[in-house]
Amino acid sequence: MSERILGGVLLLVSIAGIFIGWNYVPPVSYEPVGPRAFPLLVLFLLGICAITLMLDKKSTTTWAPTPVLARIGLLFLIVLAYALLFDKLGFIIATALMTIPVARFFGGTWKQCVLGGIGLGVGMFFFFDRLLDVALPTGLWLNGILG
Amino acid sequence: MLMQGFAVAGTPENLMIALIGCFIGTVVGLLPGLGPINGVAILLPIAFAMKLPPESALILLCAVYAGCEYGGRISAILINVPGDAGAVMTTMDGYPMAKKGLAGPALSMSALASFTGALVATIGIVAFAPLLAEWAIAFGPAEYFVLMVLALCCLGGLVGDSLPKAMTACLIGLLLSTVGIDANSGVYRYTFDALHLQDGIPFIVIVIGLFAVSELMLMLQNEHAASEPITLTGRLMFNTKEFLMAKWTLLRCSLSGFFIGVLPGAGATIASAMCYAAERRMAGKDHQFGQGDIRGVAAPEAANNASANGSLVPMLTLGVPGSGTTAVMIGALTLYNITPGPTLFQDQPVIVWGLIASLFIANVMLLVMNIPLIRVFVAFLSIPNWLLVPGVAAVSLVGVYAVHGTTFDLILGTFIGGAGYLLRVMNFPIAPFILGFVLGDMMEQNLRRALSISDGDVGVLFASPIAIGLWVVAVGMLLGPRLMRMLDQRKAVAA
Repeated sequence: MSERILGGVLLLVSIAGIFIGWNYVPPVSYEPVGPRAFPLLVLFLLGICAITLMLDKKSTTTWAPTPVLARIGLLFLIVLAYALLFDKLGFIIATALMTIPVARFFGGTWKQCVLGGIGLGVGMFFFFDRLLDVALPTGLWLNGILG
Repeated sequence: MLMQGFAVAGTPENLMIALIGCFIGTVVGLLPGLGPINGVAILLPIAFAMKLPPESALILLCAVYAGCEYGGRISAILINVPGDAGAVMTTMDGYPMAKKGLAGPALSMSALASFTGALVATIGIVAFAPLLAEWAIAFGPAEYFVLMVLALCCLGGLVGDSLPKAMTACLIGLLLSTVGIDANSGVYRYTFDALHLQDGIPFIVIVIGLFAVSELMLMLQNEHAASEPITLTGRLMFNTKEFLMAKWTLLRCSLSGFFIGVLPGAGATIASAMCYAAERRMAGKDHQFGQGDIRGVAAPEAANNASANGSLVPMLTLGVPGSGTTAVMIGALTLYNITPGPTLFQDQPVIVWGLIASLFIANVMLLVMNIPLIRVFVAFLSIPNWLLVPGVAAVSLVGVYAVHGTTFDLILGTFIGGAGYLLRVMNFPIAPFILGFVLGDMMEQNLRRALSISDGDVGVLFASPIAIGLWVVAVGMLLGPRLMRMLDQRKAVAA
């Protein structure tokens, strides 16, 4: 069933893509094949594959049990939040905050998680930012201290 | 030319980089769940952000790649969990050996096998790559386009559980590669007025999303109680008798591994499985395969290292990668504005030969690291997941952030990772996806160039004997493996 739903979604994507891509015509053209042909060809083939996926009855997907799936969804949201807060909070705080729940998922104790989070945040900041010269965001609050 | 390469690879900085790469590679390789593609993917943005020159960045990535192939066997032997896909077959005899108290000989023999495989394959690269590159220079844009179709077909035909899935993955990759401004006409394609998408979806973002973020989600799904590693006791080295028993296995598997690796699509996993099966059949009656035969660890390790190195041949000579990991490396070249292709040997001798020389150096380093210093790496097996996973997440995002310094890339990467997770759960192979994304732009450019030359006549794609030959092979590779499997099943049913 999962494959069929995905096939349906991909079919809609390819139809929408062809619809949008149809207008990709340059004002002046110097070549017989413009910017439109290749994406349209790919989308057309994708559409065919999507239909094949929808027609195929047997499914090989085994989803994880619901509680695990919920944790995976949460993990995704945590990484997303981490990405959003990466430069607002600064690397150290964001990393420590991200580490604590993620480490809990993988069986760390509270103490390990908190210490691990602070350790990773501070350790990696100094390793990358100071040692390897890979600039990382300090966050607005730390600019004054570490600047 | 090789000497020139050693001059490049032998500078103190590059030696240091190779050493660090070998170490990180072995560690990443031995961690269950993380393999060569993850190691290369996570280090690529960091190498780029550290502003390493292109040859040093490639040396780092190649050392990591080589190191991963060594590392995978350690967890296979000690905890019966392969560290990467190429080491699956090593568990068959490695773990039984370790249970018998022979972990030391199993580890040292597999290290020697890895070294032999890699060495034979690197010599193979030196011997064959320049010839292949010279032959490929005659390729026009039409032949090139067909060659890339062939590469995608090979990979699509071999991986995954169904052809439509492999093709879908590949087409999604191709489609994503068209996002951004079209260089020939200036038309914006599928950017949806987003400023950050004008230059296309950054390669690094795709790579981190697919091979770091989605990998972490899979690790949470597959989390099981980690089994205690078997402690390393007794002798560390194999003895002469064991060596004599395995010597022909080493050589045979190294050679066949190399040739399997050169073929696009068939990677380390297939090579190690094929060689293991062949050696088992050849061993005659008095073998102990499956219960801890020393040849059973030598065969898959020689084959998987040989094929990993062999797969660099199409990447370096044709600019067409045959596997997910080499696709990431091609992407690394394009980040440095180096166009991969048959002219690479002429235009960038420093990079190509430096890389080949660094493979020789890296493998000697790895042999030294993996026999006397094996205990150091065994210690890494006890890194708990609660520290490892957030660490990998942070390192990956650091790399992506460092390239453009925008959180847009991080957010995009996370969403790609989520989508990648869904695709992987549904058994869509990811290697064709990344290959499609990497080749997409080159494919389109060559197709348009070919059709410009022929003034729009599609016949040009089928005009030369080389092109026709490539088409035939492409169709054969796409359908062949599955037809054979269907025939096998029918035979099994009939019997």
